[in-house]
Amino acid sequence: MSTIEPAIGGGVPEPVSPLREAWTVYRRNAPAVFGTLLLFAIVAFVLYGTFIYKGDPYEIVWAPQTPPGVEATVPLGTDNLGRDLLRGLLKGGGPTLAVGAAAAIITLVIGILLGGIAGYFGGWIDDLLMRITEFFQVLPALLFAMVVITLFSPSTITTSIAIGVVLWPQTARLTRAEFLKIRELEYVMAARSIGARNGRIMWKVILPNALPPLIVSATLTVGVAILFQAGLSFLGLDDPNTMSWGLMIGTNRQYILDAWWPVTFPGVAIFLTVFAVSLVGDGLNDAFNPKLRER
Amino acid sequence: MKLTRRDILGSAGALLVAPNFAFEAQAAEPQMGGTMVMVSTQVPRHLNPAVQSGIATAIPGTQIFASPLRYDADWTPHPYLAESWKVADDALSVTLNLVKGAKFHDGKPITSEDVKFSIETIKAHHPFKTMFEPVSSVETPDEHTAVIHLAHPHPALLLCLSGALCPIIPKHVFGDGQDIMNHPANSNPVGSGPFKIAEFKAGQQIVLEKNPDFFIKGRPYLDKIVIRIVPDLSSIILAVEGGQADFLPFLAESQSIIRLQKSDRLGVTDKGYAAVGPINWLAFNTAKPPLDNKAVRQAIGYAIDRNFITKALLRGIAKPQRSPIIESSPFFNPKMPSYGLDLNKANAMLDQAGHKKGPDGMRFKLTVDYIPGGGEEQEGIAQYLKSQLKKAGIDIEVRASPDFPTWAKRISNYDFDLTMDEVYNWGDPVIGVHRTYLSSNIRKGVIWSNTQQYRNPKVDELLNKAAVEKDPAKRKGFYDEFQMIVGDDLPIYWVNALPYHTIYNKRLGNVPESIWGSMQSMDEVYWKKA
Amino acid sequence: MGLTAYIVRRLIYGIILLAGVLVLNFFLIHAAPGDPAETIAGAMGGATAEMLSGIRAAYGLDKPLLTQLAIYLGHVAHGDLGMSYYFNQPVISLIAARVGPTILLVFAAQLIAITVGVVMGVLAARKPSGPLSAVITVLSTVGYAAPVFWTGIMLIILFASIIPIFPVDGMTSARFSGGFVAHVVDVLYHLALPAFTLAIIFLAQYSRLSRASMIDVLGADYVRTARAKGLSETKVVFRHALRNAVLPIITVAGIQFGNLISGALLVESVFNWPGMGRLAFDSVLRRDYPTLLGILFFAALMVVIANLLTDLSYRFADPRIRTGGR
Repeated sequence: MSTIEPAIGGGVPEPVSPLREAWTVYRRNAPAVFGTLLLFAIVAFVLYGTFIYKGDPYEIVWAPQTPPGVEATVPLGTDNLGRDLLRGLLKGGGPTLAVGAAAAIITLVIGILLGGIAGYFGGWIDDLLMRITEFFQVLPALLFAMVVITLFSPSTITTSIAIGVVLWPQTARLTRAEFLKIRELEYVMAARSIGARNGRIMWKVILPNALPPLIVSATLTVGVAILFQAGLSFLGLDDPNTMSWGLMIGTNRQYILDAWWPVTFPGVAIFLTVFAVSLVGDGLNDAFNPKLRER
Repeated sequence: MKLTRRDILGSAGALLVAPNFAFEAQAAEPQMGGTMVMVSTQVPRHLNPAVQSGIATAIPGTQIFASPLRYDADWTPHPYLAESWKVADDALSVTLNLVKGAKFHDGKPITSEDVKFSIETIKAHHPFKTMFEPVSSVETPDEHTAVIHLAHPHPALLLCLSGALCPIIPKHVFGDGQDIMNHPANSNPVGSGPFKIAEFKAGQQIVLEKNPDFFIKGRPYLDKIVIRIVPDLSSIILAVEGGQADFLPFLAESQSIIRLQKSDRLGVTDKGYAAVGPINWLAFNTAKPPLDNKAVRQAIGYAIDRNFITKALLRGIAKPQRSPIIESSPFFNPKMPSYGLDLNKANAMLDQAGHKKGPDGMRFKLTVDYIPGGGEEQEGIAQYLKSQLKKAGIDIEVRASPDFPTWAKRISNYDFDLTMDEVYNWGDPVIGVHRTYLSSNIRKGVIWSNTQQYRNPKVDELLNKAAVEKDPAKRKGFYDEFQMIVGDDLPIYWVNALPYHTIYNKRLGNVPESIWGSMQSMDEVYWKKA
Repeated sequence: MGLTAYIVRRLIYGIILLAGVLVLNFFLIHAAPGDPAETIAGAMGGATAEMLSGIRAAYGLDKPLLTQLAIYLGHVAHGDLGMSYYFNQPVISLIAARVGPTILLVFAAQLIAITVGVVMGVLAARKPSGPLSAVITVLSTVGYAAPVFWTGIMLIILFASIIPIFPVDGMTSARFSGGFVAHVVDVLYHLALPAFTLAIIFLAQYSRLSRASMIDVLGADYVRTARAKGLSETKVVFRHALRNAVLPIITVAGIQFGNLISGALLVESVFNWPGMGRLAFDSVLRRDYPTLLGILFFAALMVVIANLLTDLSYRFADPRIRTGGR
């Protein structure tokens, strides 16, 4: 396997509060600020929208395939069965975002644990863990997630776990690289010389300093996880009793010749979310690595 | 342009001489040759209908294999591989006289031994056990004569000898001792019909080529049939509209049918599905309270608006269906109660049954399942039931299944309250109707058995009598009575006939419109001269 | 280490990885809730108790787990991935019919993504803070952020329905007749839309990558010298700068191979492309485990081969690279 790491490495800690400095850079970055606002808007839309615009997204409320803007009660129109698309968008956003976040957390936990141990201890432990990582990277992620979900029946939890399980290797490699670099630094040596236990050094000394690139990676993983969730539910590998954006596209794709809107709106929703998350991730990356700004 | 059924009946004499299984007017002259491209969402497991039921295998299977008889659009049997047949006076045997000189695709002659082998194979392995269960033996006095002996009269037998139900398969290929269910030749069969297999790409494409030695001279007209399997409906519609495909059978989605009806180039017909008898229904788990109470089931019947479903939900494309027997069948009893919408009556009946409304206006909660991927006929109606039955104080939760096996497992293990379901009559009630209502067919784990767990000794008795009654009028009498009883017991609320339509290029002649439609030989289909 | 020894070592390692995939496959299917025999029976249309025990015997499911594993591995070593639960065919022949179309799709998409991505990156690098650069960055991010199946559906609406210029009925025309060249043209015609759709997700990566390395190189001394010598800008870009971008592009192309297969899974489903992805999807719906596991194995095999090829081309592109890793 190639040993080139993702381009977001290089989080060497600096004496001045790096977070404060990063924030200064971040808020001057127009795309990043735009992405942040967009992301907040989407989350607010999903969280609070259902309180304002109530109703069961599965319920048949109006004539099938009513185009958007034609009927005030269904502002975004209806699908092939006559269900309100706005309700679907609002109710379907929650699971989509939740799975994205949960899967990213799972990815981060597994990745940091394995990558951290590998990077810190090195030697045969590193070798073994990296072989395991490579092993998981050989399996095409979406296919592997499909198999896991098929075998353990689809639900929001299964989907989150499956996505987390297939996405962690990249985080593990990144964490390992950071730990490898930081463990040789003076303050780590110092901590070791006063007899601090390994776990403590890893958790309290190295991890906080390795955090910036990991945060960037976690942010981008949320975007990937949302795309995965959407792809899986598009393929029908999701709990059909839980509305989600991918499910809406999957069930309505059959009828695109007569109605474009039931697939277009949820697709735009996914796109905007992932787009916003990517802008935030890129912004964070630039903020933590001001020198790479030009790239 | 099209002839009506009555016109055809008027010329029935001519039909016997030259049986014509399609009813497109023969204005244009038949042309030899050409390729017909069919598109379908149906994925056949293999191509041997002797051991596999279902449309997917039946369509190519009936082109590859010939059956002893075939049917026209009026439920009349005609000679096919059997040039003539005779039912004994005691109705305990049927003699088939085979066409002489008929050959399998490998050149070996088709003999009575093969007929015997085929019937015995189907009897042992086909899921439709009732078809040949009464067959006690098949005698082969000579190469071209097969005598089917029956333990008791079996009026459905002739129908069971037609279409996909009785493919004549070569004994010298399938009788080699290998397990017939997993026989390699199932995917690469040596057939007896008008077309032979040229290519079978599982789940993708089937190419059938003209059998030049077909036993009917001058047939088939077409050189080639390509069956392209495309899982996505919108792509299929695009292929038909764009002229990449010429023939699309078993289309039921109302919006697409309406869309295609507008085309000048394309013909749209709902003929050719009489024997399939596809019924869309709502099944009750009659062993589970409160649905074990007949009054509750009837009340649900009165709370549903069948006309709204067919006219609004299904856009007027589907026909209402109120009986276990498809309304286009001669056995249908028009006296069946229809349970017209009457919410007051429904509420009163539920009150009387002891299910008073609670403070939230609800009496009890039920789940409704549906076949995943069934679209408007399944999920659509399930969602409709949710809002409609609320008006009768029934709280419905629609429960989706991720895929067909999950749904089938739930239903066949009685883990359900209500479920939408699609079940076919398959020609004779003995094949496709009895299985749903006989108490002897309550078989846990088997989908499309009596999963409602419905038991009524009178129904058992009537169905068992109808199965062996040789007098057609008496037989119809038994079925009439059976329908009235289940109409009252209501183990199932029948909703509509699935609106199967065939879409075809108008330049195609003799588009199949017999009772079996495209599940019978298409040797007569031809390209009109331009 | 010599090239041959290196390749042999990598091959052995690849085989161990693949054996690992098989073992994982095997335990996954047995860890899943439910009896495989019942699943098989379900695919056949329901079964009685006798039929179930018959199936268990036929598939060796009545033997101890480790014995089953040994039998399975033995079969795979002989190229036997078992029989499909759904089709009356060996898994290996089902997959064999599907590998070609998937490879074709994946490579075509890769080619488009790299070509278009590099061109975008080069254009953007010439004025890194100019408006063109910003537009290219945004466009490529848009391509990455839109779900690939949705992009595909939108392209179908646009180019197959509203302006019907592309077919969506698979890989070939059903009515096709003609010679080899006509056949190739027919396949390319069907390939265009799906390959382009799949390429869109990867544009961002390649354009960013080539933009970054171009910026690096364009500032380097030897490029300045080349410019000073009066070489045309095009020559500078193609002769010096682009060469520098080749290595990272090869690396990313190798890493992305698994993701390409994941993307192909969705694209095949949208465009009815008769590849492994669609077979995988159908197998999921039918609970056809042997086929599904066979596909997983084959996909892993493809990734292992792609990784090997990446490393080799890496070595070829830059002989200084030490092979053999850590």
